[in-house]
Amino acid sequence: MAFRTRRALAVFWKDFLDLRKNVGLLLSMTVLPLVFILVPIGVVWTYAQRPNDPNLRVLAQYYDRSLPLGANAARFLIDRTLTDWFGMFLVMPVFVPILISSQSVAGEKERRTLEPLLASPVTAAELVAGKSLASLVPAVSISWLAFALFCVGVDVVAWPLVKEPLMPNMLWSFGIFFLAPLFAFFGNGVAVLISARVSEARTAQQLSALVVLPLVGLVGGQVAGWLTAGVGYYAVQGAVVLLLDAVLLVASIRLLDRERLISRWG
Amino acid sequence: MSGILVQGLAKRFGERVAVEGLTFDVRPGEVFGLLGPNGAGKTTTVRMLTGLLRPSEGEASVWGHSVRTQGEQLRRSVGLLTEQPGLYDRLTARENLRFFMKLHELDEAVAWPRARAYLERFGLADRENEPCGSFSKGMRQKLAIVRTLVHDPKVIFLDEPTSGLDPESARTVRDAVAELASDGRTIVLCSHNLAEVERLCSRVAIVQGRLLAMAPLGELRRAGQALDIRIEGDAGRFLPALAALPFAPNVLGEGGRIKVMLTDDAQAPDVLSCLVNAGARVHSAVPSHRPLEEVYLELIRQGRV
Repeated sequence: MAFRTRRALAVFWKDFLDLRKNVGLLLSMTVLPLVFILVPIGVVWTYAQRPNDPNLRVLAQYYDRSLPLGANAARFLIDRTLTDWFGMFLVMPVFVPILISSQSVAGEKERRTLEPLLASPVTAAELVAGKSLASLVPAVSISWLAFALFCVGVDVVAWPLVKEPLMPNMLWSFGIFFLAPLFAFFGNGVAVLISARVSEARTAQQLSALVVLPLVGLVGGQVAGWLTAGVGYYAVQGAVVLLLDAVLLVASIRLLDRERLISRWG
Repeated sequence: MSGILVQGLAKRFGERVAVEGLTFDVRPGEVFGLLGPNGAGKTTTVRMLTGLLRPSEGEASVWGHSVRTQGEQLRRSVGLLTEQPGLYDRLTARENLRFFMKLHELDEAVAWPRARAYLERFGLADRENEPCGSFSKGMRQKLAIVRTLVHDPKVIFLDEPTSGLDPESARTVRDAVAELASDGRTIVLCSHNLAEVERLCSRVAIVQGRLLAMAPLGELRRAGQALDIRIEGDAGRFLPALAALPFAPNVLGEGGRIKVMLTDDAQAPDVLSCLVNAGARVHSAVPSHRPLEEVYLELIRQGRV
């Protein structure tokens, strides 16, 4: 069966329209980015406000024992925070598609809209493409918008100390424009896969959300000083996620098979 | 060309047999009733014929498209009204219809006049920009019917089309179904509303995991006649005598009327002589067709034995 872009775009159009009218979902999608923007800005602001606090030096030396005596501990900690927080920021492009895709696939079952939809000529690949696009576009857009606000916020609060714009830097730019879409695809793929196997959107959301735990764990490792993040570190993460994305795509198309969906949930 | 051709169709889910050995055909311009109790396999049959489920055995073609190999072409040709309307509540009626126009890759300039005509006919034209979540059950059902017809399907499967509709709307829907059939569409009607089936269908199939009967409606009802008898006095006095007849007919009695179900025309004289011998004064005895409901229930009972 040939892939028809027009039908995939129809699914995207409908899901996107539905999302725009789902106030509850939009609100829950807004909360996470706000937290991810405000927390690091608050941390950077704290460091920038007390550059001479001797405790900052102790904290900086916990991460880097070879920190020169003349080095600015507050600046060191700001740089460190920005590098480590990027790992946390990547939770956002994973989590937002989970919120959306869980609703769009398992939600079709809950609302009993699945059978009329599957009785139309749309193919499984078109369904996956349309639904994925409808969750990826908002997820990546939100991530980019949050990134822009984050850059402005960080630069404003850090300016009194550093007197130069810290953001956007190379790590964040690479991450946001290359890794965030890959991570968003990953979150979407997991949610589509789980949605195809459970009957309720809420269950799909709860199960899918578990995939952010390894990411949070990695950030925990960075904060504890066990892992040192950088462009190479995040590039390896990106390569692993790219591989997982390919596996999830194939599995999603297979799982969104009419027979399987209808005989289980129809 | 036959609208629907079904040959030895079967569907199993693991060890469980949903339907087996189904063979029937539905002609263009025909309204065909698919009847059976809950869980009899009607929905499974419709799902196989709309390309949603793959048959375990047998073959079927719908408007010339094989259900096994031409799913996409088949789904372009069929319209399916499911038991639940299955509408997107946050979307307006217009957006719901537009989505299905897009899925069928229709030219909206052609599809909208058709959709509007149905919306007007079903009294939804002034509500097309309202979200479906605000619609009553009947309005949702009518919109689902419009969605089923929006791509002008050649073959239409309707599961309980008048469910939740008021009598006026139900009549509008029945009229539309009759018109579609007269326009050459093939229509399969699944319904528990046997009065509706009697009004609309030319032939019916009764299934219960397998085909119990398939015949033109009139023939099915003639398969066993009923005898309407008017007597003097209370019918209840004579019912035990009738029940004791060797062929043990089903008998209904109320006031001065007795209705005796016959499986053979030749049983009528025995019924009458039984009543006379029991002391009944018979005023009249008129043969009548059995209501579809009685035929249906009897076939289902036999099917269970």
